[in-house]
Amino acid sequence: MIFYIVFGFTNLLLGNQIEICPTCEVKTISEGIEMAQPGDELIIQSGLYKEHNLTIKKKLKLTGKGKPVIDGGKSGHILKILADSVTISGLTIQNVEQSYTKDYAAIYISRVKYYEVNNVILENVFFGILVEKSHYGKIYNNQISSVAMSEAGAGNGIHLWHCSNVEIFGNEISDVRDGIYFEFVSDSRIWDNYSHDNIRYGLHFMFSNNDSYQDNVFVNNGAGVAVMFSKFITMTNNRFFKNWGTASYGLLLKEIYDAEIENNIFEENTIGINLEGSTRINYKNNVFKRNGWAVKIAGACYANKFYNNNFLHNSFDISYNSKLNDNSFESNYWSSYTGYDLDKNGIGDIPYRPVKLFSYVVNRTPETIVLLRSLFVDIINFSEKVSPVFTPDNLMDQNPLMKMVL
Amino acid sequence: MILLVLVWVVSLSSCKIEPEPIQYGADQCHFCKMNIVDKAHAAQYVTDKGKQYKYDAIECMIREISRAGNLQISMKLVSDFSAPGNMIPAEEASYIISPGIKSPMGANLSAVKELDQAKKLIQEFEGAVFNWDDIQGKINSK
Repeated sequence: MIFYIVFGFTNLLLGNQIEICPTCEVKTISEGIEMAQPGDELIIQSGLYKEHNLTIKKKLKLTGKGKPVIDGGKSGHILKILADSVTISGLTIQNVEQSYTKDYAAIYISRVKYYEVNNVILENVFFGILVEKSHYGKIYNNQISSVAMSEAGAGNGIHLWHCSNVEIFGNEISDVRDGIYFEFVSDSRIWDNYSHDNIRYGLHFMFSNNDSYQDNVFVNNGAGVAVMFSKFITMTNNRFFKNWGTASYGLLLKEIYDAEIENNIFEENTIGINLEGSTRINYKNNVFKRNGWAVKIAGACYANKFYNNNFLHNSFDISYNSKLNDNSFESNYWSSYTGYDLDKNGIGDIPYRPVKLFSYVVNRTPETIVLLRSLFVDIINFSEKVSPVFTPDNLMDQNPLMKMVL
Repeated sequence: MILLVLVWVVSLSSCKIEPEPIQYGADQCHFCKMNIVDKAHAAQYVTDKGKQYKYDAIECMIREISRAGNLQISMKLVSDFSAPGNMIPAEEASYIISPGIKSPMGANLSAVKELDQAKKLIQEFEGAVFNWDDIQGKINSK
């Protein structure tokens, strides 16, 4: 009797394993889910499973062995997680239905806690992982992709809506609309992800506060990262590469407050950082290399501090659209600085003015950009440098560095 | 002479006041600067002079119109949610705000051509129906 109780107890603690394969007793995943007790683990062996709308309403662990494939056949969600503490790993899930009115996903997670998705490959998805009103989750080491489409009708790789305390790391996401999308998400971290060739953004924040992202790489997206209507976002050690196009940025900041942007690299973007209505942001130790515009500042940006950044070979270092300046530029390295350092203290003896007059002309009439490398433009830039009329006269770096910040 | 006529024709045709198709994935919202990708929620208006303004969401267009004050607008268009990619006149459309249908800028606002369609949609997704005047008040009051 005692033995029975102990046995039953350990059994309850560890859970049973149910094996699923095309030649096993249990042939389909839906059957496995049906017969499993809460706490069980389903071991899914390699094979092709044509199933969709697999709804999990109890605590389960789904583990793929030998890369089993679940094919949703383009109808509805494929996996729906509606219970706490569900773990999904090692599965390949493909072919999610596309729709304009419903957001179908390979893995749909709704109103749960402690969920985990790892080492999963999602292919040809509409939405990859869609999480709604769920908390304390981990999404890591997954690969998410869809078919590259030049137009709309694509969903997002990892989409979170009204969530908190989520960790997202080590994922590779490509050819979707937004790689990772945070809408009303707080207290979450994103790191070590590789988001590339997405139609809109590599990463997108909307109405999300107190989040951070670091050590991510964003390459060749419509635009790298957009942070909009959010507060207290920390952005460190990220790389923003090759976001080219008329509406393209490495980083778009729109109506955001109190952010820290440190140690990031912005290279070969049409615009490195585009900021609008953004206030109290510190930029430190970033590298802006070979961008069209390193930083483009438009309307209502106050108390932004640029400190110890490297501006290397950008067509325009800073661009303004007004004569007012409430932002500070201090101790940066500017590759186009032509001053001298007679006292050899490493700081240029004359201030550097990062805003060229021509950038105003281009703001007003974008077509004038064809004149960029002409003598005429050099002359008007030089005359403005000597006696500023159009550019904010207090906009300068009083202590431009003579050597790059390492 | 032929050349002159050609130039005249070209210059005339380029001044026509008519909407320009939105390049989804490439065009940018004039208000929020996001790329326009959602065919079911985009919007645009054309000024008296023929200048195009495009938006990724109907709420963006409404906010811009109210902020800009007395704009000389000759044409306002919104996406038909029931036929994505199709643009319909904003004044004649019926609007729904429904928690079940998300729109790009978080207002959960969509438009359809017929009032009946709107009523059908809120039966399926919940929500409320508005006309053009009411929806402007509703969005701008937030």
